[in-house]
Amino acid sequence: MSYESDLLVWLPHLTRYARALTGDWAWADDLVQDTVERALNKHPPRPDDNLRAWLLTLLRHRFIDQLRARREIAVDDACAPWQTMPAPAGEISGLVLRDVQRALYRLPVEQREVLLLVALEGLRYQEAAQVLAVPVGTVMSRLARAREHMRALLSEEPAARGAALRVIRKA
Amino acid sequence: MNDPHKPSNEPDADASARLLSALLDGELSGPERREVLARLQSDHEETERLAHYRAQRAALQAMFPLSGAAPAMFVQRRPSWRRAVAFGVGGIAAGLLLGIALHAGLAGFAREPAFAERADVAYAVYAADRQHPVEMDAAQPERLASWLSSRVGRPVRAPSLAEYGYTLIGGRLLPGESGPAAQFMYQRAGGERVTLYETAVAGRNLTPRALLADGRHTFYWTDRGIGYALSGRGDAARLRELAMEACGALGGPTDAWKG
Repeated sequence: MSYESDLLVWLPHLTRYARALTGDWAWADDLVQDTVERALNKHPPRPDDNLRAWLLTLLRHRFIDQLRARREIAVDDACAPWQTMPAPAGEISGLVLRDVQRALYRLPVEQREVLLLVALEGLRYQEAAQVLAVPVGTVMSRLARAREHMRALLSEEPAARGAALRVIRKA
Repeated sequence: MNDPHKPSNEPDADASARLLSALLDGELSGPERREVLARLQSDHEETERLAHYRAQRAALQAMFPLSGAAPAMFVQRRPSWRRAVAFGVGGIAAGLLLGIALHAGLAGFAREPAFAERADVAYAVYAADRQHPVEMDAAQPERLASWLSSRVGRPVRAPSLAEYGYTLIGGRLLPGESGPAAQFMYQRAGGERVTLYETAVAGRNLTPRALLADGRHTFYWTDRGIGYALSGRGDAARLRELAMEACGALGGPTDAWKG
């Protein structure tokens, strides 16, 4: 396999991760595009390096840069990118997906990214630590906080939903 | 949170969340794992917490499915790069190629169907075959259609393309992405062939698109759970017209082809 084709193997994963992270498909597609362009213009990592973690690292750097330029996704802002996402329908193990979506984008970015890297992308803690440039211990504690935060948000969801509805009505 | 009693001290609660989290992610060593599992036996609250984490993970995975079809379409070695340029982008310097193929791919990334790619390859394989282009000939077109329909599990038909000079010569059953697929083959007096590929697909209707591979054009669309792809060689505009004709004859939305 060539470097290019190895890279392409990870495209769906990168795209999925970018979409989940930003909640904005157009932004996500731009991020992936930028990431791949950068990856092609750089020296590829050594064969025994973790290509996927490296790509995710590149993507994350682009994301952080662009996040500074944009305002951080506002929680109840009707204009927040994720508000335009199609609301996922249905329920998984008692969780209403729409509520999970709302909770996910109320997490601080550093909790959201670690949760998505591990729970969605299935990265090992070691790999997530590489992507986030933090020690494994930080991955563990941040991830635990993210999960607890999600649990808290999902438990208080009825009140939050009411608040969001009021905001939308006002607008 | 609904915790009836607040944990006696925060570090313990944090440590517990970390352990449960690591258990779920398969990141605990054997002894740690056994210890946490033993504690879960008697601690109802912790069990619920773990179940919640697991449900979160399942929900996230359900919300953001991985698109399976696209990579097969774009993962190509350099020598066959042309097959990667799926959307009619021609004459590009090889250095730029990957980026552009990616760009085309990303536009509809989540829903890019593998069936179009399969249809194209099936055309390349069988239309070139002078000896056995079809598995069953079109002597009895109804029998051909009903055999293929019963195998594909959807009503597949071969519309008449006689107006364009193409006669149905037969069809064959092929393995598709997730089940059987039907390929109808048509031939013109001069020997040129086109195929119409039909297979069951999931998801919403897809507006017509084109795939260019190695001089072969494939125009594809989906309608009511069936993916259609018309493949041929030669003049793209004419093949597109042919595909539009087939789409209309099959009861598909022809206005989607305009513009």
